[in-house]
Amino acid sequence: MSTGFVKRRGTLSGRKRTMDKIMIALLAVGSLVMIVPFAWMVITSFDWAARIRIPFPPRIWPLDPSIKPYEAAFMNVPLMKYILNSVLVAIGVILVSLFSALLSGYALSKMNAKGSNVVLVLALSTMMIPFEITMIPQYLFFSDMHLTDSYLAFYLPALNYAFGTFLAKGIFDQLPGSLREAGLIDGAGEYRIFRAIFLPLCLPIVATLIVLQFLAVWNDLLWPLLILNTPDKYTIQQGLAMFTYNRGTGKLPSITMAATTVSLVPVVVLYIFLQRYVVESVATTGIKQ
Amino acid sequence: MIHVLNKAIRKNMAGYLFMLPLILGIAVFSIYPMISAFILSLHRSASGSGGDWVGFANYRYVMDDPAFWKSLYNTVYMGVLSVITGVGFSFILATVINNLLSTRVKNLFKAIFFLPNVVSAVATSIVFTFLFYPSNEGLLNFAAGLFGIEPIGWFTNPTYAPLSIVLMNLWAALGYNTIIFIAGLQGVPKDLYEAAEVDGATPLRKWFYITIPYMRSIFVFMIIMGVINSMKRFTDVWLIGGTAGNPGESLMTSVLYIYRNAFVSSQMGVASAASYLLFVFIMLLTLAMLMFNRKKDRLD
Repeated sequence: MSTGFVKRRGTLSGRKRTMDKIMIALLAVGSLVMIVPFAWMVITSFDWAARIRIPFPPRIWPLDPSIKPYEAAFMNVPLMKYILNSVLVAIGVILVSLFSALLSGYALSKMNAKGSNVVLVLALSTMMIPFEITMIPQYLFFSDMHLTDSYLAFYLPALNYAFGTFLAKGIFDQLPGSLREAGLIDGAGEYRIFRAIFLPLCLPIVATLIVLQFLAVWNDLLWPLLILNTPDKYTIQQGLAMFTYNRGTGKLPSITMAATTVSLVPVVVLYIFLQRYVVESVATTGIKQ
Repeated sequence: MIHVLNKAIRKNMAGYLFMLPLILGIAVFSIYPMISAFILSLHRSASGSGGDWVGFANYRYVMDDPAFWKSLYNTVYMGVLSVITGVGFSFILATVINNLLSTRVKNLFKAIFFLPNVVSAVATSIVFTFLFYPSNEGLLNFAAGLFGIEPIGWFTNPTYAPLSIVLMNLWAALGYNTIIFIAGLQGVPKDLYEAAEVDGATPLRKWFYITIPYMRSIFVFMIIMGVINSMKRFTDVWLIGGTAGNPGESLMTSVLYIYRNAFVSSQMGVASAASYLLFVFIMLLTLAMLMFNRKKDRLD
């Protein structure tokens, strides 16, 4: 009896293991499909033979391996300038939005000022308004203030980061309010209590917000397209988009792929180093910017 | 008395100061634009400032414009297909990955499938215009050719272009939904499965009768977010089809319609009216889905 039971369990787990191998094989095929666009991009970007025409038939190694496509890309598109611009925009947006989100999240969670609920409801309801709906007045606002071509048009709207406020509030809600009261009794100011006691306790959420905001700013196209007119000011996505847009898509394969690869390096490096972190932040926050 | 009042204000003042950046942000970059867009939509305006009051003429113009309805249709068409394929595939994928035995293998696949998600819509569109090239030089047509399929104009044929966008979007967004589903799957109580196993339920039955009902709120969340995101489609269709939404206006989406009217034809009033109509449409869709969910909740 007992040996039969053990045997049955043994075959079951054997079947499970076979199933597992089949699933891994299927997922491996799926992964290949996910990887192919990246692989094609990188291979073509090193293929000088593909500077005019798409490599045909498709090859898994460049016909004429060379870094010339990259030299040509950097010569035709000021990629470093665009990347620097994007970094400038990202740093400013991250600083402003985190400043606003952490302070307001803390206030909503711990300070109970009269009318906090109104702010909470306002933040919640305006968060549901897609940017695309309000982009025209926002554009006109900055245009009237002669702030087109200025990165202030990115920094100022970053004050309105209600999503970050909610995430921060959620973290502060988990921390005991007695920490603040103890600080107040000791005679510390509100800002000091926030900075010295609460801020160090919510560093993980700060990191999450930085990653999410960086990706959002780095990958955005529509707002830069409206606000920045001088090529000198372009962000990387805008520079890349204009490079292909102006000469029609599907031309100059290897040079275009080289420029695209360069534009991906920062996010892919970020992803490789903070991979679990990026994935976890999506799993826990569940909202894409 | 004054002392008490002073104290109350001072007590609240710190809180207000802490919330000031957010309040300013909401007022200037959410509330003001919503009001301003509405006022703008009631004017014939090329530049935004001034212009003649025209009442609801801009709304009438937009409602009479076949391009507006065409763009809305395209957006919804691509949106529905994107949401169905995106949610369906990612749920299956999440189930498969979540049931793997080794955590390391699990994390590896999670990382691979999520990778396209950090890639910008610009880069994705550029790479896919090559992969989906209309002649057999395009990788997809080359692969199809191995099965004897004639080259297809993925992005150049008006019938296929929206489907190609959906396909591209599936590649780009699959991993994102998968990660959320996996997080949700880990929240399903284990004892439910154990109880079902005692009753002799097959894995497929467990999936249908325990996993899927348990995940319903995540499905609803994902569908709503998916619909809202699809209604905002702009970057990929603009890069691939230009402001005309080529081929044959098949890639003209609502946001592209707004963009074209505002920044190409300088009809800010008309574009604002279209924005408001789109906003109302998104709100109605969201409300309808929430109400449907609540009704189902009550039935359960």
